[in-house]
Amino acid sequence: MSPVAVFRLFLGLAIVVAVVFLLVARSTQRVREVDYKAAGQARKVFFFTLTGVLTAFLGITLPRMPYPREGVIPDRVVHVVGKQFAFAISETPIETDAQWEEVTSFAPPVRIPVGSLVEFRVTSFDVNHGFSVYSPQGQLLAQTQAMPGYVNRLRLRLNEPGRYTVLCLEFCGSAHHRMRGVFFVE
Amino acid sequence: MADQVVVSPVWSGVEQQRWRRLTATWMLVMLLLFPVLLLLGAFMRIVQANWLPTLLPEWFYAVMTLHGLGMVGTWFVGAMAAVSYVLTQYVRPSRAISWGTLAATVLGVLLLLVTTLVGRFGVGWYFLYPLPFYPAGVWPNWATWMFLFSLAILGVGWTVWAVDLLRAIARSYSLRVALAWHYIRGRTEPEVPPAVLITTVSLISALAGFLAAVIILVLSVLEWAGTGFTNDALLMKNLIFFFGHVLVNITMYLGVVLVYDVLPRYSARPWKTNRMVAIAWNTVLFLVLFAYFHHLYMDFVQPQWVQVLGQVASYFISVPAAVVTIFSALVLVYGASMRWTLSSILMYLGVMGWAIGGVAAVIDSTIAVNLRFHNTLWVPAHFHTYYLMGVVLMLLGFAAHFGQEVSQQSENGRLTKIITALFVIGGYGFLLMFYLGGAHSVPRRYAVYPQEVLQGVDYARIALGFIALLFLGVVLYLWETGRRCLLAFRTSP
Repeated sequence: MSPVAVFRLFLGLAIVVAVVFLLVARSTQRVREVDYKAAGQARKVFFFTLTGVLTAFLGITLPRMPYPREGVIPDRVVHVVGKQFAFAISETPIETDAQWEEVTSFAPPVRIPVGSLVEFRVTSFDVNHGFSVYSPQGQLLAQTQAMPGYVNRLRLRLNEPGRYTVLCLEFCGSAHHRMRGVFFVE
Repeated sequence: MADQVVVSPVWSGVEQQRWRRLTATWMLVMLLLFPVLLLLGAFMRIVQANWLPTLLPEWFYAVMTLHGLGMVGTWFVGAMAAVSYVLTQYVRPSRAISWGTLAATVLGVLLLLVTTLVGRFGVGWYFLYPLPFYPAGVWPNWATWMFLFSLAILGVGWTVWAVDLLRAIARSYSLRVALAWHYIRGRTEPEVPPAVLITTVSLISALAGFLAAVIILVLSVLEWAGTGFTNDALLMKNLIFFFGHVLVNITMYLGVVLVYDVLPRYSARPWKTNRMVAIAWNTVLFLVLFAYFHHLYMDFVQPQWVQVLGQVASYFISVPAAVVTIFSALVLVYGASMRWTLSSILMYLGVMGWAIGGVAAVIDSTIAVNLRFHNTLWVPAHFHTYYLMGVVLMLLGFAAHFGQEVSQQSENGRLTKIITALFVIGGYGFLLMFYLGGAHSVPRRYAVYPQEVLQGVDYARIALGFIALLFLGVVLYLWETGRRCLLAFRTSP
């Protein structure tokens, strides 16, 4: 489901909630006794409906978790290291500050074959950063945290060629909004 | 042993007056801080709208830190003070401790003001480790120390306050009774008011959260004092989000205490504890400890079963809230001989905001959705919904009720309608811009939007129009309620 579709779903549910509250508020214009038995029945229906819907959504969405599955081998591995305030992105491991400087200053952008399954191995040399991949149209496709001392593995299959931007999605200091990286799919 | 309730002696008139003065003081502090902090939020949207292009971004982040910490702290202490006042019907908390906490809070806030506005300390309200130790040349060392010190002062004050309220409850009810476990077993005696039950649940959770905060502070100081000790970033993240999640949620629950206690007075119908209410709030006590995992979905190294547990807990914690509290609030009002005043309207709208914010939060707590919503504007969208349009309205409703009760001044019905309209249109319009930003991939916590997400600038500009309406509503509200609280302060010895 696209984020805009999720927004529409939310908007629809929010309007339903607001209408229910409005109708209940308007009901006070005509005072009446509450039929607690009927209210109890309605509550039961609400309970089972809500629990059922939530369980169904769990069933639908949990298999779509983005975490890497063992046994599936990616076509490419790309190493990413965040550091205030840039992402070093390279097909060779980045293990030192000097290598990070070299990649961010001189290395050409990584190029990934279209349609290949790529695994980004993401870490940080200082604070927490958020490694997020934006499509050539500026849509957020996926993300994972860049955390000091840990490597998060994000797998993506990018079927559209073009320039992909990496923005930082975890607040990391005074130039957080300028922290970025880039790679190409072709 | 049979469960017993030790009924507290009725307060003397002088004691009541003293509680009113104390509560009026807390309400005035809350009502003074609210518009100031709201303007700080407006300042952030002005910067994001590119209307202050020469401003250094570190000022944006320092203000962001102050706005977040200020709002979270203000509504927590406001809720604690209001709930303490409500609980004096049943138990006897210490006034001295509440005054002491007020002093600690004022001192902590002053230190935070210096830390952020002089020291330019900008780490966000939950100060994610190890950012406080990586200033990137912006804030000096003393600012980090002062920040940790101010948190320690606030933490000690708030913990003592929470412990004292629990002590007062435990003195009249045993904790087992206060948690209404006998209702779950089918007994209704001794009677436990919902305010006592929910406050007990909230404060036990609060103490767990404060314990996490103490561990964070100790570990941070250990590392920063040059002992050679280095913290584990994932452990610190878990601790920080546990603390933050619990603090925000219990503030919400304390707001709900006020609704349970005050709204029935306007609908002329009782709202009592029963088996279902007892089960619901005990379930919340359990699930709130695990729901925080949803803040760490994007930390892929966290064990997968923990991530699944986070989604399950986040989904099902909404069931007791919706089926018991929100549904019961609707039954309470449906067809009632309702007295619609500023207080009852705001409380009712607060429950609605809690429900709508809850829908947005449940959506975001879906791992597959969070992949594209995490740390976008969807996050401030949903937490501002159940804060600004939820607990804040509940608390403003309580302050209006309190001011009215003490001052006995009649309400201006026309002004009430105008304030309500401004709050609803300004508040939800402001939120809509956040939601649209989130749906269109705009990151949160950006002082300046880069080319890829320039739509964020337009959303910020439109949001400012709605903020202006909201602010006007707040000013009118302060005129109506603030002066009544001031009168309550002056007329209580």
